Amino acid sequence: MPTISSAPTVHTVRITDRRELAPGVVVLGFDAPEMVRVTRPGAFVMVIPPGGESAATALGIYEADGRRASVLFFVVGKRTQELAEMRVGDELGVVGPLGNGFSLDGLSDVAIVAGGVGIASVLLPAQALVASGARVRLYYGARSAELLVDRERFAREGCEVLVSTDDGSMGHSGYITDLLAQTDRRPDAILACGPTPMLRAVARVAAEMNVPAQLSLEETFACGVGGCWGCVVPLVGNSAQAPSFPPADRNGSDVVYARVCKEGPVFWAHELRW
Amino acid sequence: MVDLSVDLGNLHLQYPTLMGSGCYGSGEEFAPFVDLSRIGAVVLKSVTRQPRLGNPTPRLVHTPAGMLNAIGLQNPGIDWYLEHDVAKFADRPCVVIGSVAGFSVDDYAYTVEKLAARDEIKAIELNISCPNVASEGETFACDPNLTGKVVRAARAATGKTLIVKLSPNVTDIGAIAREAQAAGADALAVINTVRGMSIDVDLMRPRLGNVTGGLSGPAIRPIAVLAVYEVARAVTIPIVGQGGIETTRDAIEFFLAGASAVSIGTGNFTDPRIPMRIVDELAEFLRRRNVRSLKQIVGKANVGFANPYQYEGDEG
Ligand SMILES: Cc1cc2nc3c(=O)[nH]c(=O)nc-3n(C[C@H](O)[C@H](O)[C@H](O)COP(=O)(O)O)c2cc1C
Ligand code: FES
Repeated sequence: MPTISSAPTVHTVRITDRRELAPGVVVLGFDAPEMVRVTRPGAFVMVIPPGGESAATALGIYEADGRRASVLFFVVGKRTQELAEMRVGDELGVVGPLGNGFSLDGLSDVAIVAGGVGIASVLLPAQALVASGARVRLYYGARSAELLVDRERFAREGCEVLVSTDDGSMGHSGYITDLLAQTDRRPDAILACGPTPMLRAVARVAAEMNVPAQLSLEETFACGVGGCWGCVVPLVGNSAQAPSFPPADRNGSDVVYARVCKEGPVFWAHELRW
Repeated sequence: MVDLSVDLGNLHLQYPTLMGSGCYGSGEEFAPFVDLSRIGAVVLKSVTRQPRLGNPTPRLVHTPAGMLNAIGLQNPGIDWYLEHDVAKFADRPCVVIGSVAGFSVDDYAYTVEKLAARDEIKAIELNISCPNVASEGETFACDPNLTGKVVRAARAATGKTLIVKLSPNVTDIGAIAREAQAAGADALAVINTVRGMSIDVDLMRPRLGNVTGGLSGPAIRPIAVLAVYEVARAVTIPIVGQGGIETTRDAIEFFLAGASAVSIGTGNFTDPRIPMRIVDELAEFLRRRNVRSLKQIVGKANVGFANPYQYEGDEG
């Protein structure tokens, strides 16, 4: 997986726009030209809580274009609630870009699988792939039609969009991975971001199709920058992403713990031992 | 100029802020966006004699005003560490303090001796209070006798400043602190995390892979302030206060309770600018009150506590 060469920075940014895509689903845009310049598809930021809450929130970078970057999030607790209450003109501290990104080189036919808020991390790779001439099919699942936010946006960007909902209110009724498994078109890569059960299902389907899958993992973060070893996931010891600390060849075990925030968040599905 | 410097044994720090062990990597991870020359010192992740894979996942849970962690001392072991990592610490623009954990007196002595022998390491923190490893992890800090034994062994292994990190999960922290001082500790870190647990009500099982964890962050601050207050009355060596410090006023609470320095761990996860902000605002807070040295307010809210620096401060 490609890593970000430019160092992350604490950016003090001003909110330029705020959209509520559905009840409890918010996009915050901000002016951050420096960050846009060095960001890459799959990277994330740690958003410093603007008020009294403790612990920064890891959010995927949704859009990055010109001077403007944005984050898309679901309100799930106090910290995201606090962010949802931000207004245009407010100041926000953002650390990033962090993490590695998706590997997009040489891909010509790609399936992107997004579940729920996972959509936040797949717009940038979709745009980059379409720009490079690749065919991109987005498999997009959510609890209900209302929560399939910005799906037309992906169609406008040039993706073919297939959807599913848990309640059957739009598209396939059931799991989005059902659609992926039924496809008659074998892509040369699968990229996925969403809840862990979905990612596990993507990994299974990808293995059956014999297509390499890149999964952007969700894990609870503390530092977000590789300093605490709290966000780890077990990985085969000979992975190129295995951290050099600790050494891979210990205890006769071929499994090492890699940090989702540092060595990830994007990992090859076949290298995970979760 | 307000004097914020502090002496822990023979270690002189320009600023009284240490970055908590296990929360700050080796400093390198934060270097892109924190001016390390403006923080006092980084305490490295604890290292043990043997390599450790660490605990199963998940290792972190956010809880009200804090978090639970159960990392389980994941580290490459002292030999690999000395060979591959320690040399990199030489060019850190801040003081680097090593942290040692272990499972027997012998382990501690062995690891302290090897690590302290390196020039890159300016002092040693003895982590005898990790709540996240099965069996003996915390036993040392919970028994005055064992505390005395392990500190004496570490003392014999190095002449560098020895900071002993105490656990709040005890009945009488003052008694443990006295043993540590008698056994040769130069300073005490107060406190490590508070044991805790969280259960997922939907899945009906513990949220942490390790079942139990250590609570940190603002949730434990009053527990930590009291522990510092009690330890300050029991010993004469300096205290590094810690537990939920996120603002300058939080830090000042610890100084007033009797801490000579403070450590910031979980606060860095809220905002990595916190340590730099505390250094700036602390100087301003003291200047506004015409206090020339931080040492003069150490223990000021601690009734009957004899501040060993008081006279020095008054003379200056
Ligand atoms: C993720 C995490 C990892 C930690 N690892 C260590 C460790 O390896 N050794 C140690 O002595 N303390 C460790 N601690 C404890 C902290 O250094 C600190 O003493 C404690 O968290 C209380 O301070 P705080 O509330 O500012 O974090 C760890 C704490 C956290 C949150
Ligand atoms: S969250 Fe601290 S290492 Fe990943």
